[in-house]
Amino acid sequence: MTGYVGNRIPRVDSAAKVTGAAIYGVDVALAGMLHGAVLRSPYPRARIVSIDTSAAAAAPGVQTVVTGRDFSLLFGGVIKDQSILAIDEVRYAGEPVVAVSATTEHEAQEALSLIRVEYEELPAVLDMRAALANDAPLVHPDLHTYNRRPGDYIVPHTNINTIYRHERGDVEAGFARSDYVFEGEYTAHALSHAALEVHVAIAQYDSVTGGYTVWVSSERPFILRDQLAPGLGVEPSRIRMIAAEVGGTFGGKGIPIAEAIAAGLARHSGGRPVRVEFTREEDLVASQTRVPAILKLKTGINRDGFMVARSAEVLWDSGAYTAYTVDVSIRGAQTIIGPYRIPNLSLLSRQVYTNKPVTGSFRGFGTTQVTWACETHMDEITTEMGLDPVAFRLQNGYEEGDPYINGQILHGINLTDTIKRAATEIGWGSVERKPAPHLRRGKGIAAMIKPSKTPSSANVVINLGQDGRAAVVCAAPEIGAGQRTVIAQIAADSIGIRIEDVSVPDADTAITPYNSPVASSRTTYHMGNAVLEAGTKVQAELVALAGRYLEVDPDELEVRDGGIFDLDGEHQITVKGLLSKYSKEGYWITASARYSSAGSPLLKADPGEEWISSIFWMLCTHAAEVEVDVETGVIRVVKIAAAADVGKAINPLTVEQQIEGGVVMGVSNALFESFSYRDGRVENGNFADYKLATIHDIPEIVPIIVESVHDEAPFGAKGVGEPANAATPPAIGNAIFDAVGIRIRDLPITPEKVLEALEEKAAADVSKLKPPL
Amino acid sequence: MMITVKLTVNGKLRQVHVEPRLTLLEVLREELLLTGTKEGCGVGECGTCVVLHDGEPVTSCLVLAGDADGAEIETIEGLAEDGELTAVQRAFVKTGALQCGFCTPAMVLTTTALFRKNDQPAIEDVKNALGGVLCRCGVYPKLLEAVTEIKGANP
Amino acid sequence: MKRLLKFDYYEPASLEDAVRILAAADGGASVLAGGTDLVVDMKTGRLQPSTVVNLKGIPKLAGIDAADDATRIGALTRVTEVELSELVQSRHPALAQAASILASPPVRGLATIGGNVGRASPASDLGPALIVHDARVAIIGTEGAREELVEKLYVAPGVTSLAQSDIITHFTLPLQPPGFGSAYVKLGKRGSGTDIALAGVAASVLADGDGEIVDCRIALASLGPTPFRAVGTETLLRSKRATQALLATAAENASHEAMPIDDMRASAFYREKLARVLTDRALRGALASAGVEVAA
Repeated sequence: MTGYVGNRIPRVDSAAKVTGAAIYGVDVALAGMLHGAVLRSPYPRARIVSIDTSAAAAAPGVQTVVTGRDFSLLFGGVIKDQSILAIDEVRYAGEPVVAVSATTEHEAQEALSLIRVEYEELPAVLDMRAALANDAPLVHPDLHTYNRRPGDYIVPHTNINTIYRHERGDVEAGFARSDYVFEGEYTAHALSHAALEVHVAIAQYDSVTGGYTVWVSSERPFILRDQLAPGLGVEPSRIRMIAAEVGGTFGGKGIPIAEAIAAGLARHSGGRPVRVEFTREEDLVASQTRVPAILKLKTGINRDGFMVARSAEVLWDSGAYTAYTVDVSIRGAQTIIGPYRIPNLSLLSRQVYTNKPVTGSFRGFGTTQVTWACETHMDEITTEMGLDPVAFRLQNGYEEGDPYINGQILHGINLTDTIKRAATEIGWGSVERKPAPHLRRGKGIAAMIKPSKTPSSANVVINLGQDGRAAVVCAAPEIGAGQRTVIAQIAADSIGIRIEDVSVPDADTAITPYNSPVASSRTTYHMGNAVLEAGTKVQAELVALAGRYLEVDPDELEVRDGGIFDLDGEHQITVKGLLSKYSKEGYWITASARYSSAGSPLLKADPGEEWISSIFWMLCTHAAEVEVDVETGVIRVVKIAAAADVGKAINPLTVEQQIEGGVVMGVSNALFESFSYRDGRVENGNFADYKLATIHDIPEIVPIIVESVHDEAPFGAKGVGEPANAATPPAIGNAIFDAVGIRIRDLPITPEKVLEALEEKAAADVSKLKPPL
Repeated sequence: MMITVKLTVNGKLRQVHVEPRLTLLEVLREELLLTGTKEGCGVGECGTCVVLHDGEPVTSCLVLAGDADGAEIETIEGLAEDGELTAVQRAFVKTGALQCGFCTPAMVLTTTALFRKNDQPAIEDVKNALGGVLCRCGVYPKLLEAVTEIKGANP
Repeated sequence: MKRLLKFDYYEPASLEDAVRILAAADGGASVLAGGTDLVVDMKTGRLQPSTVVNLKGIPKLAGIDAADDATRIGALTRVTEVELSELVQSRHPALAQAASILASPPVRGLATIGGNVGRASPASDLGPALIVHDARVAIIGTEGAREELVEKLYVAPGVTSLAQSDIITHFTLPLQPPGFGSAYVKLGKRGSGTDIALAGVAASVLADGDGEIVDCRIALASLGPTPFRAVGTETLLRSKRATQALLATAAENASHEAMPIDDMRASAFYREKLARVLTDRALRGALASAGVEVAA
């Protein structure tokens, strides 16, 4: 089977996207559609004393006005702690309090100003450390009563919604045995996913069946459905989610956000569809962000440069509601060990509620935060010990067959080559220190490890029609990472038809079979395996049919390029031609397949710890060269060499896009993006002051594809999208240290922090020079 | 209050009768149903809504309807003729200068305007021109490849 | 999508009509030039005018004209045109530089010089550049036409001395003798040019044949409530030869004249540092454009 897999195939949906024909969530419009608008809390924490909606309800064009009283049920990811609209209490500035539907969006927005809400401000928890205090106000006093995934991960009557520990070996003995022990504390900040398409949904309620249809822009239509259902008090199957093109998500469009408001309004809008599109400000302030974290690390090293022990303590801030963060805090914390062999470990991860905006999954699912801490810490270790950062990582880095922190035997990994090739490409070991009087250059390196959601499953149905064209029916929305193209490549090759004859329709939970989310870099591997199996079945049926028609042994036929060939390579008939011979019989080939990682022997681990295993592991190393303006503190990233172990690149073009895009996001995350809060309110809810990298700000980026051999992967392919941004910030931070000798431990790395640190360093250097009195 | 706005969109004279508070972006998307033009921020910071206004890229979210009266507007829908992609569009496809595609109309139009003025733009000209359009997927390196591809096609 | 509130809209054909409509409007009237500030302010709720007067139908408000003794720039001249004008680049380099890093290209293609100045943002890029060129602003209102120095226009953040019915018609920049040079530099959050200035400095110098600074202007952006001149630093520089030491002293002095505040974009501490660095860089740029070498 050869053809598309492994080649640089332009995206199958490119033409629709360069002509403006692609229909995104924001482009969907239905006849009779109403428009929603949301009144949000101005306070981080307050009791709702009263709400007067009478004037708004009477305003021109207004169809309905709903408040928390209309929706008493709770929904959420792991812990059902959230309502569609605030009930009695608001828990963050920006929380939805009242929603309006009206004939036009103008009218809906204008009606908001007619609503009167009386609040009684309450003391708010605005800092994750303060949330741990014994006398801290409780963001969710009823936490212990909420429906939630079973397990003793919460601490009732505190703000701690997740506590997790992991031990391996004997960490204290490990430290005692170590020749050197290093400690450091790092912080990772909240980040907006900032997909250029804002959150949007259109919902319609059918009062006869009690069901909902929701048109969404989301990477996880099934998860959205399952999470929203309890909030609406219906069975998940009563909600049909239809996905349009997604204008970016980065992990941010997988929980009910605009969808909840739209469905809530639709429930009370007389059967008319209701569209809710967030403004950019709402998107930044009141959708979800990366989970901020404070990360403490302690590492013991022996004099031969081997890592002996590590303890880590991570505190995460879920914001006012948990969404996906329970799992982010657990899965993220596990990888703070980095891609390194450390025999003695102790890990404590706690996550608290605060009265800040909701946080959640963000490209990397916790690994971006811990990689920042781990890799900055690694650089401090090598600096103090006078070790080479590259050699140290190679010496301690995971290799094929090493046990992971739960005893899983790591399979199909190639960290070593990512380190070596990134280092070579950046020109490790040499740098032009001072290209101008006010400029200093340096180089840094960082590596990381990322699991993929395990176990998880993917289902697919392939329909091969009489015209020889195949529809690959699956719930794997194209979120921009090339899912549709990779699926089409695998389908085309496995069936033996041309890629132009393959379509991958949008997801629809009423039609497309179940798939776990398009997240965790799992689509190529999981859906790839399912499509490969289904496509192979379609081909087998085609061959059988051709054998029947040509009256030859099917074993002597093969299918490729949309044609049936004999073993001498002689073309016999086209697939279309073959199927047309059976058109009177209504011949239509349908095959389905399911891939699940559950039960794979690769997941075997220490007893009780299999749940930590990942069906595949992604490794990557980024090496950076930066230039520091010592007068202004401005950082210019000159170059990033980004090496990713992807297993096998199904499509090198889309892999490069993921790596490059990840680096761009990493540069942006590290240097430009941050929220500014005043009294618990975000004050920079716009792109004028929440800054994303532009084409001016990017370095030369060299994507490096490193391969490895994974036995269960389709063609050997793992994943690439998520790790791509995590290693960039610490690589930049480490390069800054190399350039000017300052260590920034809290993100983002702003010019102001750099300049301040440079001045502190200069002062310290002067005081060192002073002779003793 | 309503105003009548006459404008040429993709070569066709169009007339709309709208409230003056509508922006050009709203006129295009909601009155003329040309949804290829997207909004990203609404305040001129992201460039997602760029259209060509008398040949120049402008953020259509900041243009009031009345200001568009008499203007010649080009949107992404106006580039390809009968499904035949332009050289700029073909280069975007070939080099992979798009991911989710949401900024793509603005990127394609901005690149188109750039090449109409100068078929061999220097890298700094390219960055200056495209610096006003954000891409969260990070296609910037591939955009530069696309530009190289177009320059190669315009020797 | 954030929607605008209703307003009455006018496209007068003459300045007289425009002034009359503005004067008669109740509940706040705004002049629409490029719209890049006005529409943003209306979307964010900072301004909610009941009347919007679009000047586009009024003749002769846009364009750059060269006279022997001055350059006239119409209020509706787009920032892009200012940026790309060879006349402005050669006669008033600081203004061309400021125009080239004001916001992004698709915004510069809409924004106008009159709108940028009239908005009176403390972070205005064009304001300081106009000030160091001794630019005068021409205004028409109910009392007729008048002119004043651009620097006199600014009152407070977002506030000018203009009345509701006043309209900026054009700017006049006197032609400078040989030995004149100017520059504008700023730093934004991304460090790459086009962001809102965390701090910005415009400088102009007039040097004699011996490299002595005969006269100079320094104007600061985002370093006070309005764009303003660092008069003490100008005094310090006058009648002195440009040396490294003089520039260092001047830069230090400008950072003391700055009145920076802490806000979400930067701290006062950092802005003060930038005032020094950017003054140094702006002066070097101005001297270079005047053809003066900085002595050791």
